Amino acid sequence: MRDALMLAAALAANVAGLGWLALAMDVHWQQVRGRAPQTRAMVRLLRVLGVLGLAGSLALCLAVDHASMASLVWVMALAAAALVVAFTLTWRARWLGVLVAWARTGG
Amino acid sequence: MFQNFRLAMAWLHTWFGLVLGFVLMAVFFFGALSVFDREIDRWAIPQSRFEPQPMPSFDQVLRPVFESMQPTRENVEAMRGRVNGPMPERFETVRRWGAYTTHRDPVLSIFAGYEVPNAKDPEESVFGSRTIDPRNGQALPDDRLKIGSQFFYPLHYSLNFHWKDIGYWIVGSAALVMLLALVSGVVMHRKIFRELFTFRPKKSTQRSALDLHNLTGVVALPFHFFFAFTGLVIFAGIYFPVTHTQLDPLHELHEKLDAEKTGLPHDRAGVAAPIASVDAMVAEAQRRWAAKGMAGEVGFLALQHVGDANGYVSVYRAGTDRIALTGEGIHFKASTGELLREDPPPTAVARLNEFLTGLHLQHFRHWLLRWLYVLGGLAGCVCIATGFLFFVEKRKRQHAKQGSQGARVVDALAVTTVTGMVVAALGVLIANRLLPDDLPARGSWEQYCFWGTWLLAMAHAFWRTAPVAEGRTAPAWREQCWAIAALAVTAVLLNWLTTGDHLLRTLAQGYWPVAGVDLFMLAGAAVAVLAARRLKRRAERAPAAAGGIAAKAAHA
Amino acid sequence: MATTLPVSRLHVALRIAAAVLGGYAFTWGFIALGVGLLFAAGMPFHDAEHLSSILAFLVYLAVFCWAFAARSLPRVWAVLAGGGALMAGAASLIQYAIV
Repeated sequence: MRDALMLAAALAANVAGLGWLALAMDVHWQQVRGRAPQTRAMVRLLRVLGVLGLAGSLALCLAVDHASMASLVWVMALAAAALVVAFTLTWRARWLGVLVAWARTGG
Repeated sequence: MFQNFRLAMAWLHTWFGLVLGFVLMAVFFFGALSVFDREIDRWAIPQSRFEPQPMPSFDQVLRPVFESMQPTRENVEAMRGRVNGPMPERFETVRRWGAYTTHRDPVLSIFAGYEVPNAKDPEESVFGSRTIDPRNGQALPDDRLKIGSQFFYPLHYSLNFHWKDIGYWIVGSAALVMLLALVSGVVMHRKIFRELFTFRPKKSTQRSALDLHNLTGVVALPFHFFFAFTGLVIFAGIYFPVTHTQLDPLHELHEKLDAEKTGLPHDRAGVAAPIASVDAMVAEAQRRWAAKGMAGEVGFLALQHVGDANGYVSVYRAGTDRIALTGEGIHFKASTGELLREDPPPTAVARLNEFLTGLHLQHFRHWLLRWLYVLGGLAGCVCIATGFLFFVEKRKRQHAKQGSQGARVVDALAVTTVTGMVVAALGVLIANRLLPDDLPARGSWEQYCFWGTWLLAMAHAFWRTAPVAEGRTAPAWREQCWAIAALAVTAVLLNWLTTGDHLLRTLAQGYWPVAGVDLFMLAGAAVAVLAARRLKRRAERAPAAAGGIAAKAAHA
Repeated sequence: MATTLPVSRLHVALRIAAAVLGGYAFTWGFIALGVGLLFAAGMPFHDAEHLSSILAFLVYLAVFCWAFAARSLPRVWAVLAGGGALMAGAASLIQYAIV
């Protein structure tokens, strides 16, 4: 059960991480927040958050499995997360707003 | 031949991708299904719907079965051309007995390899095999086709086309072209990071197909690359049999030195000897693994030079908790049970090879990773299918003006290899439920139904893509989507009617192999219905938009 | 749409043959020489086989791309078929010396 929860968290961390990396791009920021482009500081912050999210996911995967298996789980989870982010941006872009709810307009 | 590297890559991607793409559809789709091959076997062979079992006792259960085995008739026939003289009625000298099991196998597959008297190549063996219930040693009838592990799985690496191994070569070429398509795709795709999350289904079919093609290709790029690459590595011995041809003397030298070094005799002594308790040897092997901190189940059990003084027993640990297929083997002298050798930890190169082959062959226990593999495989299918759609959309108007059938033929072949293939897969599962239980060669009939269904789907595809030759959309796609939905639901219903294992029951019992297959088919039916309705809406919109089609967004 | 420079169908066929067949010959030579050299240098035989095979498919991929990207088709044939033959020949020499 603990393993299942940690893997679920790893998936979520990948979705968040890739979501932040997507939001660092103007076109997707505007899909989600519908406003003027962001500042360079915001873009940098989002990229850092993105990388942290992905790193956190990898750490969670390594806590569950043998390293050789964990690396495969993480890479495949990245692919799944990327599809989730892409399809959310296509059909329910506003939902990704939760990732930047703390941010004011474009930083 | 080209002005620059990017154009060369684009040409390669388009033309090699198109031609081998039809093969790759089958490889990826049946590869994705093969992740759960043993579960599909459970669905197809109701007698095997029980829990996975550990390797049973050799002395009590396996030995009597092995002793009663002989090579299969097909294998004996296939060997006839490779002997100088008649084939004996009975094969007496057993070179090897083997049993392999994983954490997903209720039934156990065992094989025996026999020496062939008068063989042109004395190293050749002829094989027999059996599938048994490990709880009691009862054999399953030989003509029950394991639709997952003996049909879909070999289909994905050999197209079940065994004449002169041509199927292996076709798949191998497709795998190399897949690698080529990935590399050339990256070179062509100028905005690979910028458009990583871009999918615009509301735009023209050409643009949205290209978006989806890029998306599914890029997000699973490591998966696609590694699977094509490791597939080639696994069969390297078939594609480049260097050490069995040009460098065979070197190989023989190594075998001789190896036998001396390891103490595992290469040849029989010619002196008969009994077989001591193999169960005791297995227990000793398990004790040694536990002592090293890697307690585990037996994955592979083999006896070499059976009945001879030089005979030895090899016990390998199941690789359930790691990527490598099996752990280092422990070898015992067959006649006395004394320890001959514990394989040393693998070298760096051996570990690399084990990782690469193990990640493809997946004998590990990790349900999330397996489902992610299925997702990757289906993403590969979507990538190839959208590639076809893009190719057709981009050229159909131009071909219509030129009076060419090119785009229509490609669209028909695309329908055949995308929806048609799914229809065929459902067809074999339905045949599996409908054919009489005691029909002789039932397994062969199931296979004929598969190919027959696919041929029908192809005929339908060619008939119903005529509008493409006039630059319009083919109804073949949505018609086959409806067929998929209907067939999938039928298959699930037939499982209920013929075995009584309906979804409520299998879910309540937690019998996931069968519940999982039923649920997967129902999910597929839902997707097919959604797709059919979307395609209809798009087709209805298309004539109105026909005036403004400029299709400029042709490249990334 | 990717277009080619004006070349004959024969040229296209020979390019494809160079990539597929010439590439295969080059890769075969690479594996043979790899196994020969590594085994002679003391690497365990199956390790030499595996390492050479693993690298070989990457080599095949690379020379396949090169076969189409290179300007001169005769040079492609010379390098791939010729190089393959040379490497295979060297491997047989090594084998002769050891066995």
